[in-house]
Order: sequence, then C-alpha cells, then structure tokens
Amino acid sequence: MAHTQDKSSALSQGVIIFVYLAVLTIIEYFVALTFDATGLLIVIAIIKAALVMYYYMHVYKLNSDEGADNRNSYAYKAATDRLGLWLFLLSDTFVFAGLMVSRMNLLGLTRPHLNQALGLFVTAVLLVSSFFMNRGETAMKFGDVKGFMKNTAVTFVLGLAFLLGVVFVEWRMAAAEGLTASFGNPATGPVGGVFYLMTGMHAFHVLTGLIFLAVVWNNARKGIYTAEKHWGVEAATVYWHFVDLVWIFFYPALYLIGKVVQ
Amino acid sequence: MIHFLIVGALVIVVALLTYLGLDLTGLADKMNPVTASAQAVSIDHLWHLEVMVMCFLFGLIMVPLFYSLIVFRQKKGELKDGQYVTGHTNLEITWTVIPLITVLTFAYLGGRSLSDINRIDPNALVIKVHAQQFTWTFEYPEYGVFTTELHLPVNRQVLLKMESKDVIHSFWVPEFRIKQDVVPGRITEYRITPTLEGSYKVRCAELCGTSHAYMENPVIVASADSYATWLNDQAKLAQESQTPEGKGKLLATKNGCIGCHSVDGTKMTGPTWFGLYDEDTKFADGTDAVADDAYIKESILDPNAKIVAGFPSPSIMPPFKLTDDEISDIIAYIKTLK
Amino acid sequence: MKNINPVWRGLISLIVFGALGYGVGFGISVLVNGAAKTSPAGPIPSVFALFFGFAAFFFGVIGYRGVTRGLTWQVIGTLVGAFVVVGIRAAMGLSAFDGKGFFLPEGAWVFGGLVGAISFMFGVGVLSDWVKWARGIETPEEHPQDESGWKKFFSVSLDHKVIGIQYVVTALLLISIGGLFALIFRTELAASQLQFLTEGLNIFSQNGLQLFNTLISLHGMIMIVSILLGIAGITNYVIPLLIGAQDMAFPRLNAFSFWIAVPAVVLLLSSLVLGGFDTGWTGYPPLSTLAPVGMQMFFLGVFVAGWSSILGAINLITTVVRMRAKGMTAWRMPILIWSSIAASLITLTATQFIGLSFQMVMFQRLFGMGFYDAAKGGNPILFQHLFWFYSHPVVYVFVLPGLGIISELLPVFSRKPLFGYRWVAMSSLGIAMVGYIVWAHHMFASGMNEYLRIPFMYSTLLVSVPTGVKFFSWVATMWRGKISTPTPMLFVLGAIMVFFIGGLTGPMNATVSTDLFLHDTYVIVGHFHDTIFGGFVFPFFAALYYWFPKATGRRMNETLGKIHFYLMTPSFFVLTFGMMYAGFLGMRRRIADYDPELHLDGIHLVTTIAGYLVAISVIVFIFNFFYSIKHGEKAEGNVWNSRSPEWQVPSPMPVHNYDKSFEVIGEPYDYGSGDNGYVKFIDEPASNAH
Ligand code: HEA
Ligand code: HEA
Ligand code: HEC
Ligand code: CUA
Ligand SMILES: [Cu+2]
Repeated sequence: MAHTQDKSSALSQGVIIFVYLAVLTIIEYFVALTFDATGLLIVIAIIKAALVMYYYMHVYKLNSDEGADNRNSYAYKAATDRLGLWLFLLSDTFVFAGLMVSRMNLLGLTRPHLNQALGLFVTAVLLVSSFFMNRGETAMKFGDVKGFMKNTAVTFVLGLAFLLGVVFVEWRMAAAEGLTASFGNPATGPVGGVFYLMTGMHAFHVLTGLIFLAVVWNNARKGIYTAEKHWGVEAATVYWHFVDLVWIFFYPALYLIGKVVQ
Repeated sequence: MIHFLIVGALVIVVALLTYLGLDLTGLADKMNPVTASAQAVSIDHLWHLEVMVMCFLFGLIMVPLFYSLIVFRQKKGELKDGQYVTGHTNLEITWTVIPLITVLTFAYLGGRSLSDINRIDPNALVIKVHAQQFTWTFEYPEYGVFTTELHLPVNRQVLLKMESKDVIHSFWVPEFRIKQDVVPGRITEYRITPTLEGSYKVRCAELCGTSHAYMENPVIVASADSYATWLNDQAKLAQESQTPEGKGKLLATKNGCIGCHSVDGTKMTGPTWFGLYDEDTKFADGTDAVADDAYIKESILDPNAKIVAGFPSPSIMPPFKLTDDEISDIIAYIKTLK
Repeated sequence: MKNINPVWRGLISLIVFGALGYGVGFGISVLVNGAAKTSPAGPIPSVFALFFGFAAFFFGVIGYRGVTRGLTWQVIGTLVGAFVVVGIRAAMGLSAFDGKGFFLPEGAWVFGGLVGAISFMFGVGVLSDWVKWARGIETPEEHPQDESGWKKFFSVSLDHKVIGIQYVVTALLLISIGGLFALIFRTELAASQLQFLTEGLNIFSQNGLQLFNTLISLHGMIMIVSILLGIAGITNYVIPLLIGAQDMAFPRLNAFSFWIAVPAVVLLLSSLVLGGFDTGWTGYPPLSTLAPVGMQMFFLGVFVAGWSSILGAINLITTVVRMRAKGMTAWRMPILIWSSIAASLITLTATQFIGLSFQMVMFQRLFGMGFYDAAKGGNPILFQHLFWFYSHPVVYVFVLPGLGIISELLPVFSRKPLFGYRWVAMSSLGIAMVGYIVWAHHMFASGMNEYLRIPFMYSTLLVSVPTGVKFFSWVATMWRGKISTPTPMLFVLGAIMVFFIGGLTGPMNATVSTDLFLHDTYVIVGHFHDTIFGGFVFPFFAALYYWFPKATGRRMNETLGKIHFYLMTPSFFVLTFGMMYAGFLGMRRRIADYDPELHLDGIHLVTTIAGYLVAISVIVFIFNFFYSIKHGEKAEGNVWNSRSPEWQVPSPMPVHNYDKSFEVIGEPYDYGSGDNGYVKFIDEPASNAH
C-alpha cells in the first residue's frame, strides 16, 4: 500500500502522477481543438479526477483503521476528522454539481468565447501547484518540516498566481469579449452569468485554500507538526487538491466542450 | 384467530363507511365543481378509483391500530410485556409487494389518463392567451379580436397557446380540471374540449404578485352558433373602431390596462380611469397634479415617477413601451370615461 | 435592577431600547427621505427597533455576553458591511443611498447582512478556539465546564446536551413566531373580502395584500427552519446518549451549527420589515427578481440557515460512524439512528442546491446576470429544478427523524419488539434514496418537458412503498402488545394517524392528471400540514415529553399533557380537513381574498377557529414545559421502563454523560424476551470506550 513507502519512492510516485495528469491535460486540449468529442473529454476528466483523488488526496485512508485500538489516540481522532472533511467535500461537490447542471441547462453544447492559451496556462499553474502540494505533504509525512515549508510556499505562490490570473486577467479579457454583458448590458444573456459564477465560486475556494495554506505554513514554522501529528497539514492538502479537482471538470466545461458562441 | 376475523370484518366496514362519508360531501366519485370538459371525465374516473383504494387503506391501518389500542392495552397495575415476536419475513414481503403493485397500477392508469387528456384533435380551434400581472387577454388570431373574456364553442377542441409578459402565471378553470403554468419566454399549451355550456372563470393559480387573487377573467362556453355570432360582432367592432377612442379602447384591452384600471369607478389594482382626465390626482408624497396629457404619458412610460396616494411604492404597474400615437389614442379613450 | 426577574428585565430593556432604536431609525428616515415620505411603520424605524430590541432583550436577561454580544456585533457588522458598499458605490459614482425608502441600496443590505452574520459568530465566541488553532495555540481537549444554572444556555457551550436544548428552545420560539403569523393571516382568511389586511394599509412599506404574502411566505420558511432546528435539537441531545458517546464528534462545529442559525433567523425576520416579499416560500423567479429588498434578506437568511443544517449533518454522520459503543453493530443501532442518518445524507448533499438556486437569484438582482431572465435567454424553470431538488428531499428530512422517534417509542409503550427491525431500518434509506429522484412532481404544471412527467409520476408513487412498510410494521408492533398510553405514547399515536392522512393524500397528487387539478390549491396545503405535523410536530412533542425527565430529572405534567393532546389532535384534524375541503371547492393557495361565489366563508371560518385551538394547545405545552422544569414531579429513574442505555443511569444526565462505558449485548427492542437487556455497563471509564 501507498502509505508504507519510503520517502524517495513516495516522491517519485508524485512525479509520475503529475506526468500522467499533464499528458492527459494536453491530450484533452488538443482533442478539444481538433474535433468535437465531449464524451471523450468527460472520460479524460474522470480519469484525471480519479488519479488526483487516489494518489494526491488519499481517499483510501478513509478506510484505514489507524488508532482503532485507542479512541483517545491522535491517529483515531485524525481519522474521525478525515471523515468529517470528506463529508464536507462531498457536500461542497454538490455546489459545483449544481453549477454544472445550470451550465448545461443554460448553455447546452455551446461555450463562451474565451482565450484558449490563457485557459490552458492557468490550468497548468493549478496542476503544478498540486504537484508541489503533494511534495510538501510527503515531506511532512517523513518529518521534513523545512521541505514542507519550501514546497508549500511554492504552492502558495502558484495558487496566488492562479487566483490573480482568473480575477485580473481572465475576467478582464472575458469582459473585453463582451461577457460583462451580464453587468447591466443585456446583450449576451446568461452566458456571462454562468462564466462569472463558475469561475467566481471556484476562485472563492482557491482563496479559502490559500488562507488555509498560509495558516498551516505558519504553524509549521512554529514547529507544531511532526511526522506523526500533522492533521492540519493533511487537511489543507486534501482541500487544496479538491480545488484542483473541481477545476479538472470546470476547465473543459468552460473552455473545451461544445461550440463557441458569441 | 378470532382477532383477525373481527379486524378483517371491521376493516371492510370502516372502509365502506369512509367511502360513504366522502360520498356525502360529493367528493368520492368525482372532483368538485361540475364536470365541464371531456378531459375532466377521464380525470374524475382516476380520482374515483384513487378514493376507493385510499378508503380501503384507511381501514386497513386504522382498524388494527385502534383494535390493538383497545384490546391489547395494559390493564391497571399490570407490568407484563407483550408477546415476543420480532418480525415475519413473508409478511414483510407481502406488504412490500402488494403496495408496489398497487402504485404501479396507479402510475400506469395515471399515464393512460394523461394521454387521454392530451389527445390531439388536428381541427382544434387555436386561441392565443396573454397573461400579465394581473389580467388575462385573449387573442383570436384569425379575426384580429382581442378580449378579456374567453369565449369558447361547446364540444370542439380548443388549443390555447399561452404566453406571459412578466412573471409566471397559471391558467386554471376548475370546471375543466386542468391547470397549466404560463411562463415568460416560452409558449405553453392547454388543450380542452368544453362539454357544458355556461359561464366559468379562469383563475390564476400561480402566485404572481400582490393582486394574484384578483387575476380572474370570465370564460364563457356557448353553443357553436352563439359563439360564431359573438365572434363576428367582435370582429366587426374591431374593424369599425378606427376612431382614436376606439383604437385606444382596443389598446387598453390588448395591453391589459383594463385588468388593473376600471372604467366605471370601481376600485381594482390600480386607480380607476373613470373621471381621471383633467381632474386633480393626489400623490403618495403629499403633492398633487392635474391629470393632463403629459402626466398620463409619464404615468404610462414611467409609473414610478409619481405614485398615486394609496398605492404601494415602488409602483406595481410595469412601465409600458408604447408609441406616442398609441398613447394619444389611449388618452382619447380615457377622456371619454366621465 | 439586580433583583428583578431576568425575564422582566429583558422585557423592560426590550421596550426601552426598542423604542430608542425606533426613534433613531425614525430620525434617520426623516433626514434621508424627508418628513412627508416617512411613514411611522416604515422599514427603517422598524428595522432599527427590531435589531435594538432583540439585542436589548438579551442584554436585560443576561448582560453583555453570549447572545447579547453576538447580536451587538451583528448590528455593528451589518452597518460596517453596508457602509463599505455605500462607499464603493459613491466612489464609482453610483447613487450611494436608496431613494425608495429603504435607506441603503440593495447591495449594501445584502453585503451588510452577510458581514453581520459572520460578525455575530465572532461576537458570540464560537470561533475563538478555531482562531487559536489557526494561530497554532492548543486548546484543552476536554471542553471547559459550563457555568451552572440557566445562564449557560445563552452563551456558547460545547456540551451536546446544552446545544440540544438550545436548539429545541429556539425551535419552539420559531414555531410560536411562525404560528403567530399563521394566526394573523388565518384571521384575514376567515371571511371573504379583505378585513384588515386591506389595500389602504401601509406597514413596513407594504399594503395589506403584500403583507399577507409576506406573512404566508415567512410562515412557511420560519416553520421549516424551526423543524430543521427542532430535529437537530432532538438528535443532538439523544444520539450521543444512544450510542454511548461522550459528545458529538466535533463539539465546536456543533456549537457553530447552532449559533449560525441565530443570525440566520434574524435575517429571515428582517425581511418582514424591509418591504417584505410576495413570492411564497418557494421564491420562484421572475417574481422574486422584482420583489423588494426583503426578498434578498429572505434568500440570505435561508442560505445561512442552510449551513447550519449541512454542518450539523456532517457532525451527526461522523459521530455515528466513529463513536458507537462496543458491540453496537449496524443492525443493533437504535432505529432512530438509521432514520437520522438517512435524513442527514439528504441534508448534506441536497441543501447546496437550494443555496445555489437562491444565490443565482440574488446575483441576478444585484448584477443583472440573467440566469432566470427569459428576455436575456435565461430559463425560469431551471430555478424550479434546482429548488425542488432540495426542497422535495427535505420533506423527508422533516419526517424521517420523526418516523424514527415513532419507531423508537412504539416498542417501549407496546412492550414488544419493533416488528421487522431491519425492514424498518432499510425503509428509511429507501425513502431517502427514492426521495432524490421525485422532485419534479411539484412541477407537473410548470411547463417543463411534458414527457418527464411520466417517470416522475412513477418514482413519486414508489415512495409509498417503503413508507407503507413503516406503517404496517408499526401496526404489527402494537398487535398483541401490552399497550399503555402516557402522554408521549399519545403523541406517537397521533403522529401515526395524522401522518397517515397526509401520506394517503400523496398518491393523488402524484398521478399527473389529478394533480393538474389539485396543484396550488388548498388540498396541497392540507396534504403537507398533515404530513409535516404527523411526521414532525407530533413526534417532536412525543420526544419532548419522553426525554424531558432525562434532561431535567422531572416529568412534565401529565394532566396538562393530556389536555394538550386532546385539544390539539381533533382541532388539527378539523384544520386540515377544512383546508382540503376548501381546496376541493376551488380555493387557491396564497390568496388573501377569495371569490364569495365559491361559498367558502363557512369552511374558512371553521378552519380559522381550529387554527386558534391548535395554537392554544401549543401554548398549554409551552407553559407545561417551562413550569415542569422547576415544579414537575421528580423522575430520576427509568421512568418509561425502557431498555435504551440512557435510561439505565439516573437522570438528569451528568455533564460528561456515562461514568462507565457500556457494551451492547442484546437487541435494542427485545421487550418480552426475558434476556439480560440491551447494554451492559463495564468497569472502564467512558472516555476510553471502544
Ligand atoms: C413532511 C413532508 C412531506 C411528506 C412526507 C410528503 C409525502 C408525500 N408527498 Fe408531499 N408535499 C409536502 C410535504 C410532504 N409530502 C409539501 C410541503 C408540499 C408542498 C410544497 C409547496 O408547494 O409549497 C408537498 C407537495 C406534494 C406534491 C406536489 C403537489 C403540487 O403542488 O401539485 C406531490 C405530488 O406528487 C406530493 C406527493 C407526495 C407523496 C406521494 C408522498 C409520499 O411520501 C407519501 C407516502 C405515504 C403513504 C402513501 C401512506 C402510507 C402507505 C401505505 C399504507 C402503503 C400503501 C399505499 C399505497 C398502495 C398507495 N407532495
Ligand atoms: C412546520 C411547519 C408548519 C406548521 C407547524 C404550520 C402551522 C400552521 N399553518 Fe402552515 N404552512 C407551512 C408550514 C407549517 N404550517 C408551509 C411550508 C406553508 C406554505 C407557505 C407558502 O405557500 O409559501 C404553509 C401555509 C399555510 C397556509 C396557506 C397559506 C396560503 O397559501 O395562502 C395556511 C392557511 O391556513 C396555514 C395555516 C397554518 C395554521 C393555522 C397552523 C397552526 O397549526 C399554527 C398553530 C399556532 C402555533 C403553533 C403557535 C402557537 C403559539 C403562540 C400563538 C404563541 C405566540 C407567542 C409568542 C410569539 C411569544 N399554513
Ligand atoms: C399591474 C397592474 C397595472 C397595469 C397592467 C396597468 N396599470 Fe396603470 N397603474 C397601476 C397602479 C397600481 C397605479 C397607481 C400607482 C402609480 O401611480 O404608479 C397606476 C397608475 C396609472 C395612471 C395614473 C392614474 C392616476 O389616477 O393618476 C395611468 C394614467 C395609468 N396607470 C395608465 C395605464 C395604462 C395606459 C396601462 C396599459 C398600457 C396601465 N396603466 C396598465 C397599475 C397598473
Ligand atoms: Cu397571475 Cu397569479
Ligand atoms: Cu415533493
């Protein structure tokens, strides 16, 4: 099982998964540009999501019986917290599912006209940030606080870049494409609304994720995490990957599937 | 065993009594007001069947419940436990499967009944319905007729094509049974074959704002002949009304103004138009003005500009985009109302 | 002031400060809108009076701490948030204030309301431990001992029993407020024509018709919130006891879930004075995009309340999964747990949809995003799908715990095992699962795709099957039992009967063609009052009568309890049969005035009187509840002779629940089997239980 590896194989596993994800994203992008294959895009997104869930978010840990012999142990409590966190994520998934349903209902198989290069770029930024997050967590798992802090700092910067990219670049460019329609100018209807709400809701989660990262980074600096006791780090990691997971679906939904409308 | 026999007998008695009781209220074999359409007949049949099954189920649960309550109650001072039975798989399966079959039957019959009431007659008479806060307007497209009363010929299928100008409304004539929402941005259809002459009302059944309760217009089902006569008269009227007042009246009907403004002084959602022109109007902020052309024009284009005293702010009246000619026609019509 | 009764103290400060707030609001209103446009019952004076009055009441009762501090912070937060928006608008060159009598522009109200709710949470103090964690400071593992006496109920406590009682009392308060609204509009409905909610009326910027609509809508939503809180209260109190846990899995989250409901309720109520809204609790656009600011407060309030239920559900599921006593396998859990889990799964997931659907209307109003605006290419029916995807399943959230309580108490008072335990347990899950796929039965007439109506008719009817399993099992449980009927059992029986009537009217709504008549008539109103009362209100009362001795060590007065029951049940039947009958005669929902030609005056009068009788019976209950806390007959032992673990130890329950942990050695409901009972206490301190 994955959690009994040594450090270097854990790290290299992270690299391999990252490569898979990157390749899939590129395939996704070119598939979308060359022919209309929504079904294929859905399959790719699901594969990517499964990889992230299993290798980066360690869903299987939900099933582990760590600490079951002593209910007052840190491990048992952490496992309880883990269940709570995942239930929260399940609930949160429904917000995004609802957005997806609204998107399909209102736009159908059409999509807004957006800058493809920028879309691919921010997606890549978020993916890379997930990779560093994984490295950070792995470092912490083996008690390497320095390594954790270094990698998390990189993650934080990438996440911030994503957030700023969405809010200050993507939204502006979209506005230039006429999507601000929704802000008072009744020309393009709900397209703008859907775009801003989906990216906005996701950006809001990125923002909370960043705050979470800052908090655990600071606590790591104070030295309160150890190889055995670092539930806070694990929670921040899982949450961060969840934000990435959402984007795995939102990216094709906004940028890739369907025909462009203007 | 004796318990089962008594309970069995009682179930039947209670079921019958329940049915008879409902029958006294007149609700057992058909739904309420008179059955005035072909579609209603099929709905009433389904209803009757459901009532019978429900009466039986009522007895089936209530009788053993009360029976146990009385016969198996704990006597004073007794501290014994009941019989030790934890379950019975066959029984459980029975009362899962039988209700399952029952509801599937309902669903099947429901589907049948639905296809009955949706049966299409290609010769159906098409009438357009425009809904708005808080009135209905009916358009007979081939005759250029607009009215606020819906006239229908008896025994002929009618297809209403319904559109809403503002919010969701619902077209419901209880005597026809069926109800259909009218949604902005799409056309919904309502198919009906009136079978009973008489006058009814279409009552808006979807909350559409403060005066939703009053969104009721007359529906008149008449013999084919008198329907034709009425329609001809209306068509003639529409043609002849080339005077500004006549056009104004037509516009007031078409745009639904008279759904909110009475022309005879009675109070409706909006202030009456009777005696409006050239008289003093008091506003909610304490000021007042004479209702001249300019004021009326402003009232139509921007109802919020001045709110008449006694009416809520912001104004319930939606702004109307009418041309200057149309507005002067309406004003000409309002002038006649004295 | 010190030696006056705290309640009086609260009322005095309510009046004094309420009046003061009113004065301030009136002054502002005159300054901004001019004396002529300021109506005495205008929104600004009222909203100030409401906020000041609320905070001052609690100040009088407990001084500046707990809720009082929360509410004060909420007021400040609201103002700060609002003025941020005002500032931004001014900077952008938009009009900074609102000319329509609401003083602040809509965006400022919304943002202010949100900031206010968050400020409340900081003010009341639920967030302090989390803030410490975020700063890397450890907090004690064992939660701190609460102060003794009644004052602890007004501040943050981490004890699930205290939180449970806080929930229950809040729910009772909300039922009273919602009920009061019902009595007001029922009085108007007693006769045709408008009697006092007339068009000339001008209260809170609303005429009578608008006020009527506001009242029914708030009645609906406040009652629904009260149900959610009432259920949370019961499950919070009981479930850790049933499974032998020290507390819930996340005590701080638990406190958070409760306290977030308080600002939510304040927001909901503020919609009444901010112009109200005329859409019903369903808030369908486009109408809801046109209503006054009150609409936004309603949406925001529900949205915030939604978080309370979601977080509560997470906590409950985690608690049950992780903290059951040794030997309590799935098939040996008390049946209430099964149904609560089923309900929590729904809450956890579906609630997000109503939140989203409401947010989308809010954004449409604030930014013009045309989601539901047909003129811009939006789709008003999408809202209905999103809304009902939550709001249908939520009706099973209301009833499942209630049905669980029925199944839990019936064996105790029948002295017989629950018939077909596994079937009853599975039927809860069955109802919940099927409940997800039936939502469009509220939309048969909505103009959605016609063919969708058939599959939704099938799925809806299917729900009857697992529900039927419960009914048959209940009857079989009573059969050949030894039934006794103290007050809790009476309410259980009432619940079964009432819910049954409500359930039986379900299938006729579910078959499309009959529903096309019944939809939006009082038949539906009758249907859901029956299901809700039978599935929630009656079981809620049963649970309160039943577990009251556990919480207080005293019983509620039996005679008053019987009066409550025998007054409430018949009047309630008259109430709902009256509603249904009026509906069959053509009475539409949500109208203040009905056509005299329909001859409904008589039946409406009877219905109204019945409504008042129900209210009186509830007042009897509330009196009994508070009276018995101090003066009830002492009951410290196993009052109901139950097998359940919480009754095996003396009442009231000690702060940290069981001193010794227990092991499950039998079946929960094996009355009459002569075995050694359900649980056995073992010599091991409870904190080390496994
Ligand atoms: C507590 C809440 C609750 C519960 C439990 C239910 C239960 C059911 N409801 Fe109800 N319903 C509401 C609350 C509830 N409802 C509310 C609030 C509304 C209105 C919302 C609004 O518009 O404001 C509503 C509206 C509503 C509608 C929409 C009506 C309309 O607006 O047009 C429909 C339509 O199908 C419906 C159906 C059902 C059905 C089939 C059940 C079933 O679950 C009932 C199942 C139970 C039984 C059937 C009885 C016992 C069973 C047996 C003894 C077995 C044998 C039975 C058979 C063979 C039939 N309900
Ligand atoms: C828990 C849910 C619940 C409960 C308990 C009730 C209880 C009652 N309901 Fe309600 N009702 C709904 C949920 C509920 N309702 C919903 C969801 C709607 C739909 C709204 C919509 O269409 O949008 C509705 C709609 C509704 C209507 C239809 C309105 C319309 O469509 O026009 C009517 C009409 O008669 C009505 C009546 C009543 C009455 C008389 C009671 C009585 O039982 C009330 C009895 C009174 C009390 C329980 C309070 C007693 C206490 C006091 C009086 C003390 C007061 C003191 C202080 C405040 C200090 N309700
Ligand atoms: C939804 C109901 C409604 C409709 C439809 C409606 N009105 Fe009104 N109208 C009102 C109300 C309410 C007022 C009073 C409040 C106000 O002044 O805005 C009013 C006021 C007026 C006034 C000023 C009356 C006075 O007493 O000073 C005029 C003129 C008027 N409407 C014309 C029209 C015309 C023309 C139409 C149709 C094209 C129309 N209205 C449609 C509700 C309506
Ligand atoms: Cu139109 Cu109600
Ligand atoms: Cu439903």
